[in-house]
Amino acid sequence: MFFLHNLERQVTLHPSYFGRNMHELVTTKLVKDVEGTCAGDYYIIAIMDAFDVSEGRILPGSGLAEFTVGYRAVVWRPYKGEVVDGITDKVNPHGFSVRVGPLEVFTSRIHVPAELQYDANATPPQYTNNADMVIEVGTHVRLRIMGIRTEVNQLYAIGTINGDFLGCLQA
Amino acid sequence: MSKTVRLGSRLRYPITVAKLLKSPGDTVKKQEPLMEYSFKWMKTVGDQIRGDTWEEEQTTIASWESPTDGDLKKWFIKEGDIIRQDGPCIMIKEECSHEIQFQGLCAVCGKDMTDFNWAADRRDTERAKISMVHDQTNLLVSETQAQRTEHELQRRLLESRKLSLVVDLDQTIIHACIDPTVGEWQRDPTNPNHDSVKDVKAFQLEDGPRGLARGCWYYIKMRPGLEGFLRRISAMYELHVYTMGTRAYAQNVARIVDPEQKLFGNRVISRDENGNMYAKSLQRLFPVSTNMVLIIDDRADVWPRNRTNLIKVSPYDFFKGIGDINSSFLPRRQDLLTSEAPAVANTNGKPADIQAAKEEAKKEAVLEELVQVAGAEDPTVTKLQVEEQERTLEKQIKDRPLQVLQEKLDKEDEEAEKSTTPSEDGEETPPQSTPHHRHQVLFDDDNELDFLEQHLTQIHKAYYEEYDRARASHNANGHVDVPSVPDVGSALNKLKSKALGGCKIVLSGLIPLGVEEARSEIGMQILSFGAELRSKISKDVTHLVVSSLRPRTKKVRQAAKIASIKIVNQDWLAECFSKWVKADETPYMFQIHPDDRPGAQDPAAVPTGEGETDLDEADETDENTAKPKKTMLRLTAPPKLRITSASGESHPLGDDDGDDSDDEDDGRDDDEVGLLPDDVEEGQLSPIDGLKTFDWGSFDDDLEAFMNEDTEDEDEDNGDETATGNEQEEEDTNDERDGDENHQLARKRKQADRDVEDDSESERHDENDGSNLSKRLRRIKSRGTSSLRNQYVSTAPSDDAAAAADSSLPTPQITGDEEDVSLLKGAGSSAGDQNAAIVDGLDDEFDDIDEAELEADFLAEFEESTEVGAEEKG
Repeated sequence: MFFLHNLERQVTLHPSYFGRNMHELVTTKLVKDVEGTCAGDYYIIAIMDAFDVSEGRILPGSGLAEFTVGYRAVVWRPYKGEVVDGITDKVNPHGFSVRVGPLEVFTSRIHVPAELQYDANATPPQYTNNADMVIEVGTHVRLRIMGIRTEVNQLYAIGTINGDFLGCLQA
Repeated sequence: MSKTVRLGSRLRYPITVAKLLKSPGDTVKKQEPLMEYSFKWMKTVGDQIRGDTWEEEQTTIASWESPTDGDLKKWFIKEGDIIRQDGPCIMIKEECSHEIQFQGLCAVCGKDMTDFNWAADRRDTERAKISMVHDQTNLLVSETQAQRTEHELQRRLLESRKLSLVVDLDQTIIHACIDPTVGEWQRDPTNPNHDSVKDVKAFQLEDGPRGLARGCWYYIKMRPGLEGFLRRISAMYELHVYTMGTRAYAQNVARIVDPEQKLFGNRVISRDENGNMYAKSLQRLFPVSTNMVLIIDDRADVWPRNRTNLIKVSPYDFFKGIGDINSSFLPRRQDLLTSEAPAVANTNGKPADIQAAKEEAKKEAVLEELVQVAGAEDPTVTKLQVEEQERTLEKQIKDRPLQVLQEKLDKEDEEAEKSTTPSEDGEETPPQSTPHHRHQVLFDDDNELDFLEQHLTQIHKAYYEEYDRARASHNANGHVDVPSVPDVGSALNKLKSKALGGCKIVLSGLIPLGVEEARSEIGMQILSFGAELRSKISKDVTHLVVSSLRPRTKKVRQAAKIASIKIVNQDWLAECFSKWVKADETPYMFQIHPDDRPGAQDPAAVPTGEGETDLDEADETDENTAKPKKTMLRLTAPPKLRITSASGESHPLGDDDGDDSDDEDDGRDDDEVGLLPDDVEEGQLSPIDGLKTFDWGSFDDDLEAFMNEDTEDEDEDNGDETATGNEQEEEDTNDERDGDENHQLARKRKQADRDVEDDSESERHDENDGSNLSKRLRRIKSRGTSSLRNQYVSTAPSDDAAAAADSSLPTPQITGDEEDVSLLKGAGSSAGDQNAAIVDGLDDEFDDIDEAELEADFLAEFEESTEVGAEEKG
């Protein structure tokens, strides 16, 4: 699910950048540092605006200036039970994994409807019911998230396409 | 999916079951108490400060929690039971057995598997530990799941009557290089190499090497006939790619070889997913059974566990002198059978180049050592290797070895034109008809794949014949019968072992010193083709394979005297290996040096090799130089007789077809053979072989025992006496000529020493095998501390105990004597250390010096303290 989230971050600036457009630089650096990263259990998708840049404070020893920036960002936090769309990335006999933006979701064979069978002889290998449904690398898939795990700056999820309106989107 | 749960080993047995909290049919949660039990234990009670304590029996009631979620099916215990040890407790039907796990998540139930609590004996992540997917390492499956998947695979293969074939990329089906010269030649139609390189494909890697080699083009040459080979083979085999290159590299090459992804599909595994930088393993892809898998690879040593399934192909070397660009992670290869190495060496035969090459080799050797010392997991080593690979790649771009080769050839051509005499072409260049034509470096003349295809077809046929037979005997009704799957490894072995069956092969100059022949790469290859490997020349040997780099070994001279031995060069072996038949020897007959022929006049006139460390060579040196000095134990007849017989034969020197084809002198051959040392000692080991198979460990033990006999306080003369005594003993045994190997060896060594050292004095000292050791011993003694040390040694054992007893007590007032004792103890142990080190022969000179200094210090302090002690006493 997407949220608008108010966040805060310390941004440091090298003395060589000190000058009139310092605040601009701070925002650029913030965007560069933060956008597209995973912060615990959510991804920071985009920064809407940096609404509050504090006064700079020189760090003793290094001479870097530290700013505390409050900003508003669009974040995406995947939830258990959430239905998401993604693109199939890898297909193997145990299941297939789908990229949902930055998140890798693995769907095991158990959570694929029985009519979809793994076909290793096809090129590329695919899950298919030999009719209109084919899941191969590149197929758009809608799935429901069953479990999520956070690792350092990384999220992993398990999904299922067993359910109404789930599965292959290109049919 | 019922599972039996044991009580676990952490309970304090014996326990008494007090109450069962759940009954069969109940749903239980993880960590929910299932039963209560009591146990008795002893507790120390009382006043600990005053030491007024006693043991008292306590009874505690504890609860036992469910280690897993699920439905309780059955209790194996009942209330009131006394349980003495760990055993089954309940049967539980689990909600999920977590058989597929993705990055710590169960892919079936979505639970986090890394949670660990005290109720369960083992982590849930341990249930699924097998990684068997080509392109993912974070997907793990359990054994049963792996088995299921593999059975499915086998079933599918059997249905389509296929087998699995794991294909290596580099130097097996393609040859890659990053020398930019290739691109230039491709664009230049006038270049003599244009024809060869015009179908070379190229790609760039985004995540390729950094630095100078960044963004370089990879030039990929497919082995001739590859397309058709793969197309035809893929009808019989399901193909997998298994390479030591990176993932991106593997995929790019796969795209070139197989643009439609019809052959390999997504079955590509690279170093990134392999999990091991040094070895490939079939178990990574087929964890349960490798019965239906074959491998083609140009290196056998990277498949330590799967040799039975391996078909070794001769390496494809199109870009001369480049080798395998992804091999910097692998140990150096030792199985090259081509004669191209000398050709390349000749083309840039400047001494400086050779020096540089040697240094390079040394550097690599150091790295290799480092790799061997450190485990495969060490990240610093991995980093080192990545850097090493980058360096080699950069070097290739900078040095442009192909261009250098071509320029060299051009220069040779020019010179040849100038002198208008036919030039001596290197082995790479066939004679050209038109002199104005520039010679080319690259030739596209490899035909390995044709043979490989034949072999693979044969194996496939043999395999399915066997399978059909097994199935018929099983009376399988369905058309697939997994239990009767035969092992493809044995089919392969059966086919291969026919090839050289009955041959008895001796190798010369092909295997580095110190490597056991049967363990070497070439040796194992020979054995796998059904031939017998002999280590020395005898009459029933059929082939002697000689390295063309080192043509003048003793074995050649011996073999030249036996007509039935075919002396061939290593290319014969290479052909046998690739064709799987006993190749015709005629084109590979070895040109024997005239001096090595049976008719040669003076064996002593033979110049020896240029300081090679090979044993054969060393032995030759011994023989040639030592012969005039004394009668060799290996020589039965006096040298004079030998010369007479040899000169009596007087072969014409011009006869150089290499084969000793004179049939009429068979009898004489025998006589001659009789003169040969090896033949004399028939049934016994020849001196060389004695060394080769020699158990150095036992020798070291003997030596050590010998050294231990000489006690520390023995003086110099004494040591020499022992040495000479030992030598006499040797002489005796040698006269008997059935002395054990140790003495033969000792003798050999001695001769080597004689040859090296002219100094008669040192020679005298060197007459025993512990020469270096005894020398060191003497040196140490001559430092004048020996008497002190002796004193230490003699006092140490008795004082040790006393000192140990003393040191445990606090000694507020050190008396002189006590200090002496402690000093003595330290010094004594250090001297003892030194003794041990000397006897082991492990320490080097620096240690000696250090310890001598240490001793000197000790001596000084010792004397000082005795003085002080004396003063105090006085």
